[in-house]
Parts: sequence; C-alpha cells; structure tokens
Amino acid sequence: MKKLFTLVLLLAFVLLANMSLVTADMHDWWAEAAAPYAGTTIRGVSESTPPSNYVADVLAAQFTELTGINVEFETTSWDQMYSKAINDMEANTGIYDFVYIEQDIIYSYLAQDYLVNLTQFAADNMDLAYADYDESAFTSFADYFKNADGDLFGVPMEAFVKVYLYRKDLFENADIQAAFEADYGYPLTPAETFEQYRDNAEFFTAYGESMDMDLWGTTVQGSTGHPASTYEFLESIGPSFGLYNWGINLETGSAQSANGGALDGETAIEALSYWIGLLPFAPPEATSSTWDEVASSFAAGRAAQGWVYGENAAWIATDESRSAITGNVGVRLPVTAPGVIEAAEMGEGYIGYYDGGAFGVPHSSRNKEATLLWLQFIGQPSVQAEWAAAGARITHTATFDDPLIAEQDAKVDGYYTLLEEQGPLFAGAPPFPFHAQVREIIDPFVQRAILGELTAEEALTQAAAAVDEELSRLGYGM
Amino acid sequence: MRNPRTGWLLLSPTLIILLIFGFAPFLYVLFVGFNQWNVFSADDGLVFNGLDNFRRLVFDDDFLHSVGLTTRFAIFAIGSQVVLGFILAQMLTRNFPGKSLFRIIHTLPLMVAPIAVGAIWRLLVIPGFGPVPFFLDRWFDLTYQIGSYPDQALWTSVIMDVWHWTPFVTLTMLAGLSAIPREPVEQAKVDGASRFQVFWYVTLPFLRPVLLTTVFIRIMDAIRTVDEVWMLAGGGPGTRFTGIYIWRVVFPRTDYGYGSSISLITLYLTIVLCWLLFIAISGRRKGEVE
Amino acid sequence: MTTTFRQRLRRLATTYGVWIFMTILTLLPIWWMFVVSMRSRVELFGRPNLALTRLFTENYSNVLTDSTFQRYMTNSLVVSTSNAVLVMVLALLATYALSRYKLTGRDNIFFWLITNRMAPPAAFLLPLFIMFTRTFRIGGWTLYDTQIGLILLYCVFNLPFAIWLLKGVVDGIPIELDDAAMIDGAGLGGVLRHVILPLAAPGLAVTGILSWVFAWNEYLFAANLTSVNARTITTGLAEFVTVTGTNWGELAAMSMITLIPSAIIVILAQRYIVMGLTFGAVKE
Repeated sequence: MKKLFTLVLLLAFVLLANMSLVTADMHDWWAEAAAPYAGTTIRGVSESTPPSNYVADVLAAQFTELTGINVEFETTSWDQMYSKAINDMEANTGIYDFVYIEQDIIYSYLAQDYLVNLTQFAADNMDLAYADYDESAFTSFADYFKNADGDLFGVPMEAFVKVYLYRKDLFENADIQAAFEADYGYPLTPAETFEQYRDNAEFFTAYGESMDMDLWGTTVQGSTGHPASTYEFLESIGPSFGLYNWGINLETGSAQSANGGALDGETAIEALSYWIGLLPFAPPEATSSTWDEVASSFAAGRAAQGWVYGENAAWIATDESRSAITGNVGVRLPVTAPGVIEAAEMGEGYIGYYDGGAFGVPHSSRNKEATLLWLQFIGQPSVQAEWAAAGARITHTATFDDPLIAEQDAKVDGYYTLLEEQGPLFAGAPPFPFHAQVREIIDPFVQRAILGELTAEEALTQAAAAVDEELSRLGYGM
Repeated sequence: MRNPRTGWLLLSPTLIILLIFGFAPFLYVLFVGFNQWNVFSADDGLVFNGLDNFRRLVFDDDFLHSVGLTTRFAIFAIGSQVVLGFILAQMLTRNFPGKSLFRIIHTLPLMVAPIAVGAIWRLLVIPGFGPVPFFLDRWFDLTYQIGSYPDQALWTSVIMDVWHWTPFVTLTMLAGLSAIPREPVEQAKVDGASRFQVFWYVTLPFLRPVLLTTVFIRIMDAIRTVDEVWMLAGGGPGTRFTGIYIWRVVFPRTDYGYGSSISLITLYLTIVLCWLLFIAISGRRKGEVE
Repeated sequence: MTTTFRQRLRRLATTYGVWIFMTILTLLPIWWMFVVSMRSRVELFGRPNLALTRLFTENYSNVLTDSTFQRYMTNSLVVSTSNAVLVMVLALLATYALSRYKLTGRDNIFFWLITNRMAPPAAFLLPLFIMFTRTFRIGGWTLYDTQIGLILLYCVFNLPFAIWLLKGVVDGIPIELDDAAMIDGAGLGGVLRHVILPLAAPGLAVTGILSWVFAWNEYLFAANLTSVNARTITTGLAEFVTVTGTNWGELAAMSMITLIPSAIIVILAQRYIVMGLTFGAVKE
C-alpha cells in the first residue's frame, strides 16, 4: 500500500514537473484545438518496449490532461501486434486509431493503402496543425516512412541501428593485448575488417576456455526457431558484405543471379558462410538466440564483441540491475567489407538497416482528427529528450543537442553521436510490398544452413529459387 | 413417452453455440481453402482456384515434413504417457500413507498454462541459463543445444508434453482402474493366472474404453499443440509441427487460402483417425449391451 | 497368499522410491520457475544454481502492484468461471438428451460435437475475428474484446470435451431411476435435479474443473480476440517477451501466481477428479 502510494506520488510529481514546462499559451492551443474531440478515446497497438511503455505511461497521460482525449494503448508481443494490426486494417474494422509500423513493413502497408497520408491530412486540417510540430525536423529515419512524393505516413517513434559492441575491459587489458599480439602478430583492437573480427572471435573463445570463463568471441543472432536469424543475415551481415535488398531485383522480380538477382550470388554466399563460420566462436545459446537474447547474453558478459541492436546499447552500458558489464561497453560502426562504406556514402548502398518504427493512422480509424493531434503531440520537440532517455531512441534532430542526451551519450560510448553522424550510412528496409511473406520463405534455408544441413551455397541457391516461386505466386515475379 | 422434441430442445443451446462459433468459421475456412488469397499479393482479392491449394500441399516438402514430425511427436508422447500413466495409476490403487499428497503433486503440471509450460522448459534447456544443458555437460559430457540439433528439439518437446499431460492420463487410468470390479481379478488369481495374464485378460479389457477415450483426447490435443512448442523452440527444424506450420503460413505469410486448405486436410486426417478410434470405442460398448 | 512383513516393507519402499523420484521430476521445472522468479535480471545468466540463493521479491511486487495485471487476473477469473458454469449446465442438458432420447443421427451428432475440438486454431482466427468485430455488432458494441465473447467462444473446445466426459456418466445412471421419478410425478426438471444431478455430481465436478483449467490456460484466442478490456492472464505472460529482452523473472513470477488458483482447485477437488473421470468405463 505504501509502495503504491509512493508510486502515485512519484507519478504525480513527474506529471507536474512536465506540466510546468508547457507554457500557458501552448496549453490553450491544445485545449482549443481538441475541444471538439474532448472525451473521445483513441486506441493504439504497439509492442511492449521501453519507448512504447513511456508513451503509454507518461505521454498519454500528459496528452489527456491537455486535451481531454483519452488514449488507450494496447501493448502486446511482436507477432501479436502484427497479426492484430493487419487483421484490423484488412477487415476495415476500425479498432485502432494508430498502429505501430515497423519500418520494414511500411511498404507492404502502403501497397495495400492501409494508411492515412499524414502530410496531406494535416494540410487539409490546418486548424489542427500544431506550430511546433515540423515533419522536416525528424532525422533521416523519417525518410523511410514517406511515399514517392515525400509525404509522411508515420510519425517516427523509435529508431536504432545495429552496432558493433565490444568489451572495453577485455580489449584494453594489457595482458590480453599481449597474448593476442603474441598469437596473431598484430595488436588487439576493436575489429575493422572481417578477418580481424574473426581473429578476435577465435582468440577470445580460446581465452575464455583457457581461463575457464563463460566467455566466447562473438554474438550470433542465430535462432533456428525464429526469423531473427534471417534478419541478422539480410539486414546486417549481408549489407556489410555488399549484398543489398536481400539480393532481390525488383525490376526483374527475381532473386536468382541468372535473372539479375543476387541472393544466390558470390557476395551472398561469402557473407553467409562467413557468418555461419562464426558459430563455433559464439556462446552455445546462439542457435536459440533472437534479438533480445543476443543482447541479454552480451549483457551477461558472455561475448567479447558482437552485433547488437542499438536500443539495447544504453541499458547494457548503464543499467546495473540488468547488465553485468556496465561501464565496459565500447560502441563502433559494424565491420564492413572494403568499399561498402564508400558505396554507402555515395548513396549506392548501406551498411545495415536503419531500424525502428513509427505510429501511423489506418484508414479505418474513426477518430482521425483526434489521432492527428496525438501524433503531433508525440512528434513535437519538447517531449523528445526525456523519452529518449527513457527508451534509448532518437527520431528528432533536436534531441541530439539536449543536455540530457549529451550526458547519456558519454555513458554509452558515443552511441548517440554515432547515430547522429553515421546514421545516414544505414538505410531502411528495401521497399518490398511482400516483406514478411518472402522473409518467411527464406527463413528455413538460413536455419538449415545454421544447422549445417545445407552449405551456404546450397541454402542460398534453394532459397533464391523458392523466393522466385513465391514472388510469381504473389504477382510480383516474372 | 420420451418426446424427441424435448431432446432436441435440451440439445439446442449446445448446437447453437457450436454452429455459430465452430461450424460457421469452419464454413468460412472451407470456402477460403478453395481460393488463392494473400492480402499482400499484387492482386489481393480472393481468386477461386479449385483444388490448386490441395495440389500444392501434396508437393509441399515443408508440410509433409511437418506431418511426419507431428506423427512422431504424437506417437512418442502419447505412447509414453499411456505407459507411464498406467504404471502410476496402478500404484495409486494401493493405499499407502501420503498417497493423496503424491497424487496432488503429480496433478500440478496439468494446471500450468501451456504458454507457461513452454516458458519454463525454455528456461530449463537454453544454454547460458538452463540447468539441463549445464549439468548434462558437466556430469555426462553431453552437448545439449536444442537450437543446433533438431532431434534434441523434438525430444525435448516430447518430454515436455509427457511432463505436462501424463497426470491427465494417470487420473483417467486411475478412474478406470478403480471402477473395475474386484471379483474377476480375484477369480483369475485363484485360477492361477500370472500377473501378466491378469493384466492382459482381465484388467485391459475392462480398461479399454477409458484407454481409448484417453488416447482419443490426447491425439486430438497433441495434433493441435502450438503454444508450448512455440514458446520452447519457436517451431524451428525439429519442432515445426503441423499446427505451427499452419500458423506460420496463415500469419506472417498471410497466405490465407493455402493456410486454410492445410487446416482442412489436417482436420480431415484428425477426424479420420479419431473416427476409427471412435468406432473401436462404441463398438465395444455395443458389444457389452448385447 | 500370505505376505511377510519383510515383503510388505520392500513393496512399500519401492512405492515410495518411485513416488519420490516422480515427485522430483514433476516438481523440478516448477521449482526452477520459482527460483527464476526469485532472481533479478542480472543474476539469470551464469552457472545455473538450482538452490534458492536469496529472497528477492521484486518480481512479485512489480507484477502484483501493476493495475493491468490485476485487470487481467479479474478477466481470467470471470471468463473461466463463467465458462465452466455455462459448460456444465449446457453439457448436462445435452448429455441427457443424447443419452435418453432417440434422436435421429444421434451417434453422428455426438461425433460431430467432438470434431469442434480438433480444428487447428490458426486458420480459424480470421473468420472468428470477422465474426467478433462485424457480425456481432450492435451499434458501437461488438463481441470483440469482451468477456462474454471469450466465454461463448471457449465453449467450442470445452463443450465437446465436457459432453464426452459426461456421456458415460449419464449413460451409467439406470434409466429406471428416471422412470420411477416420473411415475412419482416429477417433471423433466425434477428428474434432472433430483435424479441425474446427485448421481452425476462427481463427473460434473471434474467436467467443471477441467473446463475451468482449459479456459484459464487458453492463449491463442484470447490474444487475438481481445484488446485492452478483456485480456486474460495468459496473454499477459506473452507480453514479457519483447525486442529488448525477455523479462524472465517477472514472467516466472506471473506464471507462479497464475498457477495458484488452479492448484487450490485441484487440492480441494482431488477426490472428485478420480471419481468423475471414468468415461463410463463400467456400469454398475
């Protein structure tokens, strides 16, 4: 009871503290603009992640206070979120007024015309346009929620890149450095090439074994029962070798090299064999690890280096209640093959996915105006910094300069700076209207390659053929 | 004297509910099963394609593989449950101090939600935090990684199912055993029958209806198992059972037409299998009446 | 046949040996779940330690003080209890009809009933979703995200099971008892209440308990056909699995709490469970 009381008090305090930041003017504007919709309830669905929970617990309450519009927020698991949002939009039921759109599924939604054009809708409802909300102030991540005309279909709510994390305490230990140099003939540093990455992985695995520590050389997001493994291959490993857009040629509608695709090409095979070749240097849970389990393994100190989603970087580096390696986390750009960075800088490629999600409004919503107000509320600059601190997400250019973030940035070894400066090297998912469908086709082949049932070449050759079959079945193929 | 109309009246609420929530969706699935329909295809309407979906599934290796896996899963899991359940039930027919305590403990797994069962077993078997791989490695030098070895994933699902459902079988068997009249058993013993003969010629025939009904219910539920295995291994190689395969086709692939036709075939196979068992059960019953 | 004291002792020792072994096997996973629920997130990895290292109750307090959790718990209690009661009533009526009346196609109806439980659920979610959101719509009200929707839907797998369980029980009640009551002037209601109900009570109890447990444990339908208001506790379990980490501690704590009501019921109803599960094995 006492605890509950403290909690309520704390919540009230947080709310009040936030309220005082909002000037009386703005207060009036929200109340006035929302007057016709006061008392309505808008519903949304999202995955239960820290950024979403911040929206549900903090931002929604502030918004209701200002406008009298209630926000009902359903947080659920990743699979459920999709099936529910898609069912709702496809059946045109209007359960949800805003849905979480993960960046890679936006093109599927756009192709089916599920979403309201927010730019257009705001222009048509000038009386609802909030002065401080500016579409162009979002980071380059917002570009991946736009159609060909540059109109926005989702207000970015979280954005991450998959980075290279390494254990500073290990990499900067003089004894370890000496041992590495003795074995490999060059100094130990965070990896910049794939050869070096592999050497590091091999070295730390052997080191862990010799010291009887639970330590391995690298993470691998290699779950054989989950699409996470395909994602790591297609959105991080592949691109850093120069395999873009899943090796699917949209013009010819094929993934096979014979028809202009690249999924069964040399680059793809090289990337897959390299990645699978890392499995002996990964902790034994790697073949059961999805994205969150990779982060947990790394946070438990079981890997010396690895590819980890940036949304986890902050808690791994700072949250002592969850991570055993706080203060020892180094952050770098992921390793790439020669020429890939240059291609990305020229805009001809990318080194990995710019990941994250946005809130969009389905056409089936019956409260579009109230929802527009809500999306502007969460898209305004003044709420961003604290949200970023709570959820390690940045979607707005103004957020980078906030002192709160600068302070965080130092603790996570410059992850936010990296996001600001090198963010454009990453790109959103390829503009496929068949995203989940084709990924499901590729999954089993990647999984069988991980299990060693197929070689990388066999897996990709068969995968490319299966992809082509599915593409033509879906009507996008040859 | 007994007017069938009253009978229908008593039956009607049940029939109405099942027609609305069971049969109507079935008709929908039946209809969709004969169409090509994927909401994310270029042309996303329903297109009637006759038996194409069914032709496709005959050549679908993944589907056939999933049927094979499900069959193995069902046979091994249910087989072990019946044997284990019978032995335990037999032991519970005797009185000994603390019997009810053991019975209560043994019933507990039945009460755990399937999704929690999957979570518990995942916690037990994933290397890194699970004690099972750790101790197998330490004591027996065995490598146990359900993510890397499909066979281990299958066996783990079987063992998990045995853990979860043996209590149910034990309880039904115990109920069946306690209902067996004493005299025939005693008589057989007096006649000098061995323990095996008593079991084979006296106990088993009495137990048959219970046994078959239990197997019937278990088969039905084993074929549709999704939650536990999904939580445990996500339906990777080794655990991509038909229920999970259907789920993947219907949901992430949104291939409703094909998913529906697989469901229909699976349902059909289940019905045929269970119909045979049903005939076996009711045939026995009729035999008794005559 | 005389058994010596020594033989009796040996038999008892075997019995206890087997049961203690079985108890360990049965309880190990549940114990591990309990241990995990008593660990903080950072303690989860590392050399597995089966012993309870300390009393860390934060997972429990986090779950219990969460208002969403309380709502889920209430929903689960309401849905499974109502469903169990509804199933018991309907199943008793239906079983009586199938057992006592000459209905055309009785055997086929009986078999058709159970086929409702056989359907692989995944493909049926879409039609059910459409039905819940479109077909049953009165003004702004829909069956979607309501407790009543789940209560009715769970009948699809619980009713057939219940009828199959009860069929043997009711068949086993001699029809002469019905007739005698009717001659004494009892109507249908009287027969059901005074003849069938008392005699079928153990079977009915076990039917109710198992229906309750199945409804309490159901996940897929609840996850897809509810949104905020009618969500049940099992769907809450799945929420702990997120992109930024599965909160195993809280998940385990919630699983433990979810287990408590079912465990209590089982302990209270031990006797009935065995008495009621005969599937009409033997007619006395």
